[in-house]
Amino acid sequence: MEVMMMLVYDQPGVMQRVMGEFNRKRINVETIVVGKCEMPERARIVLSIEDREKAMSVIEHLRALHEVIEADLVDHTRHEAYALVQAKEGVCRITGTVEEVDSMIRKSQPERYIQAMNAI
Amino acid sequence: MMKGARAAVELLEEQNVKVMFGIPGGVLLPFYDELVDSDIRHILPRHEQCAGHMADGYARVSKKPGVCVATSGPGATNLVTGVATAFMDSSPMVAITGQVATNVLGNDAFQEADSFSLMMPVTKHNFRVTDPKVFPETMKKAFMIATTGRYGPVHIDIPVDIFQAEITQEQMDREVRVPKPKRNLADLLDAIKLLEKAERPTIMVGGGVAWSMAGPEIVRLAEMLMAPIVTTLMAKGSVPENHPLVLGVCGMHGRQVANYALNNCDVLLAIGTRFSDRVTGKLSEFGTKTKVVHVDIDSSEIGKNVKGRVGLVGDAWTVVNALIAGLQKRVKAQTWRDRIVQLNKDCDCDHDLRSEPLKPQKVIFELSKNLPEDAIVTTEVGQNQMWAAHFFKCYGKRMFITSGGLGTMGFGFPAALGAKVARPESVVLDIAGDGSIQMVSQEFATAVENDIPVVVCVLNNGWLGMVKQWQKLFYGSRYMATKFAGSPDFVKLAEAYGADAARVERPSEVAEAIRTACRSEVPYLIDFVIDPEEDVLPMTPPGKTSVDCIKGRCPWKGGVA
Repeated sequence: MEVMMMLVYDQPGVMQRVMGEFNRKRINVETIVVGKCEMPERARIVLSIEDREKAMSVIEHLRALHEVIEADLVDHTRHEAYALVQAKEGVCRITGTVEEVDSMIRKSQPERYIQAMNAI
Repeated sequence: MMKGARAAVELLEEQNVKVMFGIPGGVLLPFYDELVDSDIRHILPRHEQCAGHMADGYARVSKKPGVCVATSGPGATNLVTGVATAFMDSSPMVAITGQVATNVLGNDAFQEADSFSLMMPVTKHNFRVTDPKVFPETMKKAFMIATTGRYGPVHIDIPVDIFQAEITQEQMDREVRVPKPKRNLADLLDAIKLLEKAERPTIMVGGGVAWSMAGPEIVRLAEMLMAPIVTTLMAKGSVPENHPLVLGVCGMHGRQVANYALNNCDVLLAIGTRFSDRVTGKLSEFGTKTKVVHVDIDSSEIGKNVKGRVGLVGDAWTVVNALIAGLQKRVKAQTWRDRIVQLNKDCDCDHDLRSEPLKPQKVIFELSKNLPEDAIVTTEVGQNQMWAAHFFKCYGKRMFITSGGLGTMGFGFPAALGAKVARPESVVLDIAGDGSIQMVSQEFATAVENDIPVVVCVLNNGWLGMVKQWQKLFYGSRYMATKFAGSPDFVKLAEAYGADAARVERPSEVAEAIRTACRSEVPYLIDFVIDPEEDVLPMTPPGKTSVDCIKGRCPWKGGVA
């Protein structure tokens, strides 16, 4: 799993343009989080995709977009993962490293598993 | 204070726009009202697609952004083909579309289409102006983006209320900047070493060389390296084809000697090209024995199609000059050079140009011979384009303008009109097919009305020729939807619009017809009735290598090209 981070302008149409590049290269985005960031009028996109070669093939195209200020692959081993799991108490939130969250999900009953968002 | 429409016109004038190609509509009325008082020449095509192609043709000749305008909804959707054509060939363009007012935007108003989304994948960048305060900066940015780094079309979608809003002088005066593409010449030394060691170097030039006008420098580099130059379709005309080291167009319908040099070199210096599938054939087989040095202004092109290469990011002119300055030893390739020059002399097609019915090659041969040294040739797409690319000799101030990337039928005629507007003193001639010209024949009205005397040479074989050729070669001659049974009389058609026209059926009449057409002061159509059985050969089938080349009458004896 590769994690990519982009700094973009915070305005309508940016997501469509960025996702358009993934669409054209037939890359499925596994997870994505977008939000405002510490800089005014900027937003950060953090997303993960499976294949490193595909990540490399799209990144130069992303950098060429005028609404993308930075695009880089990030070292994601230190990043925290987040997942929602159906438990007795209701929907539970688990966080930890990617490996920890993965093993928690494996341990819980798969049909109870709602959603896992890796490396965000 | 001024209205947005006034601001738009002033911004265009400030950008030194001399001519624009557009069709008005409801939401553009405030803008067109201001154009009444402007000196900008406005040309009214009969279809928005042609407005795009005219701006494109204008840009390719003037090297300045062409400006085209269309209204909202159907205007914008019609314009998409013109913009996409410019995008694929990296032609600078500013495309303006009107849009319904911001307060109804998104509500399916009359003549509303989401042109911002429609244009997004076919532009270098596009804007939808929803705030009048940033309108002037947006216009300035559009022109800068179109001509910074790798050229390309920029689209601005302008809702009608932006044209009616108040713009302040402060907003008009705001300076804008766009990021310059980064140059990366870190591998320059590696590239120089590879080239110095090369025993069989070949230089392949693409459209980037035409845009940066690096032709003379590349010829100098080729002479230093003793390397032959092959061109892609887009680069035709950027290096003089009467030079012994210039081998002409390579690829699917390329000259055999060009493909030979491309496939048998040990080091390939590729400049300003994106390794299109029409050049490489089967990509996995391309350049397996070759070390590739790839020069491009767009870093995302390096390694996109051909992997494992030395990449230099920068514009062709700068990088080629850096290579020239850095090269030292360069005497290794004499044998290779001599062999290629000899093969180039021998690479000639075996056609009986006097035979009847008239052969298309005869027409192109006579064009090559009779057109002035500064003529601009445009083409449509299909067999006409490939015959022109293969047989027309482009050198001196001649230019060759064609839709290489998108392959848009109907491009050549409107592009010729745009080219003639940009360089009125030159003969501008469109090499067309009977299929292509029928897609844009209404533009004879534009040509006559605006006094733009271009020549259209229709190579009329009564078929959608290239598709027919593929049906013949790859689908067992099962022809479907490629025969025209009811084409108009092209001579009468042109005359109906007020143009002059002639029909030519005999080889002996070709040269005189061309000379007459070039002297004409009104638009002129020549209907060349050609042999419908003639194919474009040699041809490397799609996805194959030169081993599988269908040679036809080609007498090539140089070995596997």
